[in-house]
Amino acid sequence: MTGSETPAITCRNVWQVFGTNAGSALKDALSSYDAADDVEAELRGKGLIPAVQNASFDVKEGELFVIMGLSGSGKSTLIRCISHLLHATGGEIRIDGENIVEASPKRLIELRRKKLGMVFQHFGLFPHMTVAENVAYPLRVQGMKKKQRLAKAQEVIDLVGLGGRETNYPRELSGGQRQRVGIARSLVADCSVWFLDEPFSALDPLIRRQLQDEFLEIQAKLKTTIVFITHDINEALKLADRIAIMRDGKVVQIGTPADIVLRPVDDYVREFSKDVAKGQHAHVSSVMQSGAHHVYGADDPGLRQDMTLDAALARCMELYEPVPVRSPDGTLVGVVNPADLAAALQVEQG
Amino acid sequence: MASLSKGSIAALIAAFVGALCLLLESNLPWLVKFPAAWVLPATDWVGAFMEWFLALIKPAARSFSALMFYPMEAANYVLSRTPWPLVICATTALAWTLGGMRMALMSVVGLGFVLASGYWPESMNTLALVAVSVPLALIIGGGIGILANEYPRIRQPVQALLDIMQTVPTFAYLTPLLVLFGFGPVVGLIASAIYAAPPMARNVLLGLERVEPEIKEAAIMAGGTRLQQLFQCEIPSAGQQIMVGVNQCLMAALSMVIIAAVIGGFDDIGWEVLLTMRKAQFGQSLLAGSVIVVFAILIDRMSGTLTEDRRAKHDPRVAWGILAFGVAASAAFWGSVQAPGSYSLFNPVADSLDSGLSAFTSANAEILTAFKNNVLFYVLLPIRIGLDQAVLPFTWGFAWTPVMSLWLFAAGAAAGAVFAIRGRMALGVMLLIAAGMLETGVSQLPWPFVLVGAGGLAWVAGGRGLAALTVVLLGTILLSGLWERALLSLYLSGAAVFACAVMGGAIGLASAVSSGVWRVVRPICDMLQTIPLFVFLIPVLMVFQIGEFSAFLAIIAYAIVPMIRYTRHGLVSTPDEMIEAATASGATTWQMLKDIRAPYAAPSILLGLNQTILYAFAMLVIAALIGTTGLGQSIYLALGQADVGLGISAGAAMAILALIADRMVQGFAEERRKALGL
Repeated sequence: MTGSETPAITCRNVWQVFGTNAGSALKDALSSYDAADDVEAELRGKGLIPAVQNASFDVKEGELFVIMGLSGSGKSTLIRCISHLLHATGGEIRIDGENIVEASPKRLIELRRKKLGMVFQHFGLFPHMTVAENVAYPLRVQGMKKKQRLAKAQEVIDLVGLGGRETNYPRELSGGQRQRVGIARSLVADCSVWFLDEPFSALDPLIRRQLQDEFLEIQAKLKTTIVFITHDINEALKLADRIAIMRDGKVVQIGTPADIVLRPVDDYVREFSKDVAKGQHAHVSSVMQSGAHHVYGADDPGLRQDMTLDAALARCMELYEPVPVRSPDGTLVGVVNPADLAAALQVEQG
Repeated sequence: MASLSKGSIAALIAAFVGALCLLLESNLPWLVKFPAAWVLPATDWVGAFMEWFLALIKPAARSFSALMFYPMEAANYVLSRTPWPLVICATTALAWTLGGMRMALMSVVGLGFVLASGYWPESMNTLALVAVSVPLALIIGGGIGILANEYPRIRQPVQALLDIMQTVPTFAYLTPLLVLFGFGPVVGLIASAIYAAPPMARNVLLGLERVEPEIKEAAIMAGGTRLQQLFQCEIPSAGQQIMVGVNQCLMAALSMVIIAAVIGGFDDIGWEVLLTMRKAQFGQSLLAGSVIVVFAILIDRMSGTLTEDRRAKHDPRVAWGILAFGVAASAAFWGSVQAPGSYSLFNPVADSLDSGLSAFTSANAEILTAFKNNVLFYVLLPIRIGLDQAVLPFTWGFAWTPVMSLWLFAAGAAAGAVFAIRGRMALGVMLLIAAGMLETGVSQLPWPFVLVGAGGLAWVAGGRGLAALTVVLLGTILLSGLWERALLSLYLSGAAVFACAVMGGAIGLASAVSSGVWRVVRPICDMLQTIPLFVFLIPVLMVFQIGEFSAFLAIIAYAIVPMIRYTRHGLVSTPDEMIEAATASGATTWQMLKDIRAPYAAPSILLGLNQTILYAFAMLVIAALIGTTGLGQSIYLALGQADVGLGISAGAAMAILALIADRMVQGFAEERRKALGL
């Protein structure tokens, strides 16, 4: 996370309403009510479907922002608003400060060619094109010469580990390989904002984990801004810098993985994190008392702030006094009471 | 029985109106026969309007006609002047590329047969027409499909237009085209383009609609303009479905080109069939018909390979080799090859077929006549004019008396009552109605009863809107003075559809139960579906001569196929899980069929019935060539006299009947599908 000035993506009061005359109905409802819940009730009363309601958040440059929710929660609709596959019914969506809700069709094509890339759940590969042609397609629409674009495509094909498969057709590939093609295609035009709509949901668990790891490697290399959709809490916790949890069209909580696991705002979010091995996702920093002025005991088990709770707990199983926590370079950053470590892991009794 | 179902209410009302009409028949004759004084001269109005309209666009049409003359001449010139060895080799090379050895062999054998039959020049004339009309139809159809996809608002009207283009009988729009474009092959060309464009448009639209949404989104996100998205991603992704359209378009064009031969003026293979048929040279006629079938099969199978999922690649060098051989052979034997029309290897066969046929018919005259007469006297005639008039001493051996009528009604009422008591009220009343219709005859049904009955049926099938539409449309026919002819058409196609439903259903059932039966039935169905309508007339004429019975048989032969196919498909496509669940519950094969497969197959079977009805109406007009009464005959007569008003009105009446039947059956099928949660 770099502390850049303007966020890469800004969403302010975004609404997506489906139904006839949704636009004017939303405008009316917004002018007569203040609370989003009242607006929602008003719209539903008219038989309209508010799929995304009043969504507001920022995504910082280079951040991996995960939107999580069950099917029907509006997460796919939201990502389609941000990528402007759907025209948001109301609100403001800025990418690098530019309001794309009001962008002209021509400007949108330009934005997609230069800035945006997207990966789809069911891959969205063109069945009549080979792997190389699929990957090079975003360059083809820009009018790049064949030789040039195939050379450029080759780079990303190698990056996703599909070298040697260039002349195959999508139907000849396995699911994991197909999604690699989808990823390569979305990267070929050097996008700076990358949308991934449940990219690994259609894959079986082993391939999914492998692709997640590779995805993190690619992300470390490219450092693009990412909006990632998933319904899998473990995937969200594993990948995300921050997570937004959606329910029935509303964003109910936005926070770091540790926030979600340790400080769920309501039962809905708590239900999600119930089965999660919290010790693997929360770090010592999320339970320690920061600052160098705290008193601590004689034992120093060598805790670091970026250790997972599990690892930390393993080191101070028999200790009762608060222990020091250090940053990776060895300076004292805070203390933690071993009892707090254990308490953080307590699963609620159902 | 607290409340009556929709079906029971409709049936009761219809039965009541029918009974009322029968009772009052002697006092109020206008209840049965719609008075001529009430008829509006709609036919004349339509004629006058059309004449005015046609005169308006005639100059444009004539210049279009002049324009089309050039590509037609060019195609004709190329196909008729190219040496036949080259044509055969080029076709075979194409066949190899498309379908390998099997297809290449088919092409050689098929074209060899055409050559040997001596109908080569006529065939090339037909092909030239197809070659010009198909691109026209592809462009029109593809354009309509793409536009309907781009502008969802026009999709509904476009679908309606396509329905009309396909349900109005082909003969009906030949008449105005004739007036517009004048006699000549251009009429055939345009008629076939009109007839062949809808399947293309439908398939293009369907294909584009079925492109996965994510593929469309991927094209958008890649930054393509709308045209790039459409032509680089969506259309190629829909390729397979579009190829189905191309295949259907080709077959429709061929079929129509042959039908258009009725106009004459172009020395093509359809004309040859018609000519020989009129001269009662059935051997020759069958030979020419077989040539048409060969072309139909070749075109269908070759273009059919384009629709296959994964096509095998065939070595292009072989194709080039075949082509080179053709060029070499043409060059080497230039001048020494016989004119392709001079071969007549099959003439002896045709002649012996002719003489054999006469021998056969005269030897078996008694059996054939008995068969024909039995069906006519005991089945068709009673349905048409009712038992009270069909039962005569010289056919049935006794005269129909009012007492017998009473017994018939009593039997109907008793059977109906049994059903009603067992809770199947609608079925019971319907039984009573059926008894009444059998007594009266379809062609003499009182018009109020038909309106109410059809309206009621439509109400049950598709609600109030469909009922209103049905009554209004039927009322139009009534007022236009075509009512009696419409009832005659209804009777013949109804009888044929009923026969198709019973026989086709039975064959479909047998095919579903035994794969051995299906192995035999399937190629026959494939064959029957590929044959252009026209050719069905030849064999029935050969054996049963001109008349209603031959028409009846021809309609059945053509319309039975969908019934067989859909019945079998519905019965065998029951999900495995259901079969396993039934097996696990201990159901026998018969129980499985009755309790699981049949209900599941019902929507599919209804769709088959729907297709059968539409096929029957289409064939009805063609069958008018060999003697039917009713609308088909009127359309055919109008064509002969260039009577645009009659042609259009009769065609519209026919389309109305087909449309109503189609909507009703679709409505029932939809209801079944919903009930099954499909």
